[in-house]
Amino acid sequence: MDIWPLILLNGLTLGAVYFVASSGLTLIFGLMRVITLAHGTSFLFGGYLGYVVAAATDNWILGLLAGLVAAGLLGLFTHQVLIRRFQDDDMRVALITLGVAVIGTDLMLAVFGGTATQVPFPQNLQVALDLPVIGEYPLIRLIILAIAIVLGLAIYFIIAKTRFGSIVRAGVDDAPMTSATGVNVRVVFAVIFAVGSALAGLAGVISGTLFPLLPGQDGSYLLFSLVVVIVGGMGSIPGAAIGSALVGIVSQFALVIAPTYAFVLTFALMVIVLAVRPQGIMGRPA
Amino acid sequence: MSTSISSTSTTPRWKAWVSAQNIVVAVVLVLAIIFPLVVDRPRFWLPNIGVRTLWMGTIAMSLVFLNKYVGLLSLAQMTFAGICSYGIGYFSVTMGWPIIPSIVLSLGIGSFAGWLTALIAVRTKAIYFMMITLALAQVFYSWASQAIEVTNARRGIAPIPRPDFGFINLNDITTFYYFALVLAVIAYVIFRYTATSQFGLAIQGIKDSPERMSALGYNVNRYRTAALTLAAFVASIGGVILVFDRNQVDPSFVSLDSTLNILVVAVVGGIGSLGGVFIGGLVFALLQNFAQDFTDRYMTLTGLVFIGVLLFFPAGLVGLGPMIRRLFSKRAKASASSESSETLDAERRAGTHNKKGQHK
Repeated sequence: MDIWPLILLNGLTLGAVYFVASSGLTLIFGLMRVITLAHGTSFLFGGYLGYVVAAATDNWILGLLAGLVAAGLLGLFTHQVLIRRFQDDDMRVALITLGVAVIGTDLMLAVFGGTATQVPFPQNLQVALDLPVIGEYPLIRLIILAIAIVLGLAIYFIIAKTRFGSIVRAGVDDAPMTSATGVNVRVVFAVIFAVGSALAGLAGVISGTLFPLLPGQDGSYLLFSLVVVIVGGMGSIPGAAIGSALVGIVSQFALVIAPTYAFVLTFALMVIVLAVRPQGIMGRPA
Repeated sequence: MSTSISSTSTTPRWKAWVSAQNIVVAVVLVLAIIFPLVVDRPRFWLPNIGVRTLWMGTIAMSLVFLNKYVGLLSLAQMTFAGICSYGIGYFSVTMGWPIIPSIVLSLGIGSFAGWLTALIAVRTKAIYFMMITLALAQVFYSWASQAIEVTNARRGIAPIPRPDFGFINLNDITTFYYFALVLAVIAYVIFRYTATSQFGLAIQGIKDSPERMSALGYNVNRYRTAALTLAAFVASIGGVILVFDRNQVDPSFVSLDSTLNILVVAVVGGIGSLGGVFIGGLVFALLQNFAQDFTDRYMTLTGLVFIGVLLFFPAGLVGLGPMIRRLFSKRAKASASSESSETLDAERRAGTHNKKGQHK
């Protein structure tokens, strides 16, 4: 049996997790032109909260929601208390959120410890599906791939078709002018920041279902999200989808071809994209 | 080639050097020199506070230089230092080379890493540059923690003994402290000299207006690359102190935490001040050593200090001086209204004979 289709599918499901995490980052950047380096913190915080709730209630869906809401609230708090006043100063926002990340890492290590935890999910989902070509494949991975695709399409249609989406797009192009037409841009900023963080939290729970949650993942997922948005193009949801699929697939193939240097090869992808197209695959020229 | 920007100064050369900033620098230097003589327990203070401040300051200074004069925030400076440390460990311990060629070659490799990074990242700006340097730093970290044949993976290379050059024996802690101090001063002088050289003026011009400098015939990216390489070289100097301070090298040198620590040092000291980083380094070293006495969560404390500085003192601790002076000068404003402007930015004032002051 050929192993490559299996690796491809593994790459895609991993890419699904990356997509959910990085879509939040690219959404925030797209509207606000700031990068939140606390994105990995939202990811791990959401994951841990999702684990606690899912373990307590024995309900995976509730765990997903808990991670989503908890990270969203964390994002809202960060935005309102710390960075709202400095929103035009992208460097300062990046540094302040970095401070949040440092504190978050330390406190989460204190509360949840250094051991690996995994979000429990229902018994009836813990089965393998018999796929053509590939053979047996865990159902939960396919469910997560489906969640990511549905989520991506939903975000895309909200941005492209709804009134809120048109406000967001107008805000991206010209925030002062949007504000002048009577839109409360501040509220839009706060909502987007909270939604972006919430997506990272959701990604945390999803990732915690597939792989163990560990301290230090906040850093690595922040990094993967950054790579995805750099590769895909900052501020573009389709770009994040392409970027995360590429990063997921490349990292899985690299694991098979050169396990020691898998991480390095993943970043080589970023370097190549930057050399050819500095604004990313779907990015608009700066 | 650059007659249009290297303006002539009206003050004599020696007078330009007697500025408030240089007096502060001289005082700090004297304090640093007598530091081993005045502390009660040199065996604790010299390695834990003194030397640590010096290498953190030197590495953070390369970050500040790039931010202040080139307008790029590089998060890979700690990595360049770590690459130099790894080089020294690999050549002198794994390969068994003599120490001096190992150090020289490692400084070269650290600078070369800076040049390679510049090739990748130099076309990007501001926040993109920061993310790319962060990502590249993590690439090296992951490579260093896996490449067992070169870096000995997670266990690192140890022990790396401090060299004995005969006339100076670095195993003596006081000698080692002065060795570190000399390297840090050399690093500072390199940056101060560069900032006022023709090259320094060109990169500042590029920072303010790349388009205009490009129109004047400057190859913007080549200047940025050169500045990045220089900063990587100075960071590597910090790496030399670092590796002999720890007597080993392992992936934690280049981890995300270490990278962030350097950034914290730079921001707390003052992201716009070359010398201020040593104050930031001192605060950080004190925090690292003494915060553990009353709390286990000293990283949380560090983060809080970091955010506090960003929120309330964006110019860092060195910004406090001018802030306090401005408070006092308000009283005497009637008599000396013209002088208050010079307290705004002591660091920038140092280069009164460069055009930056007039430009802003």
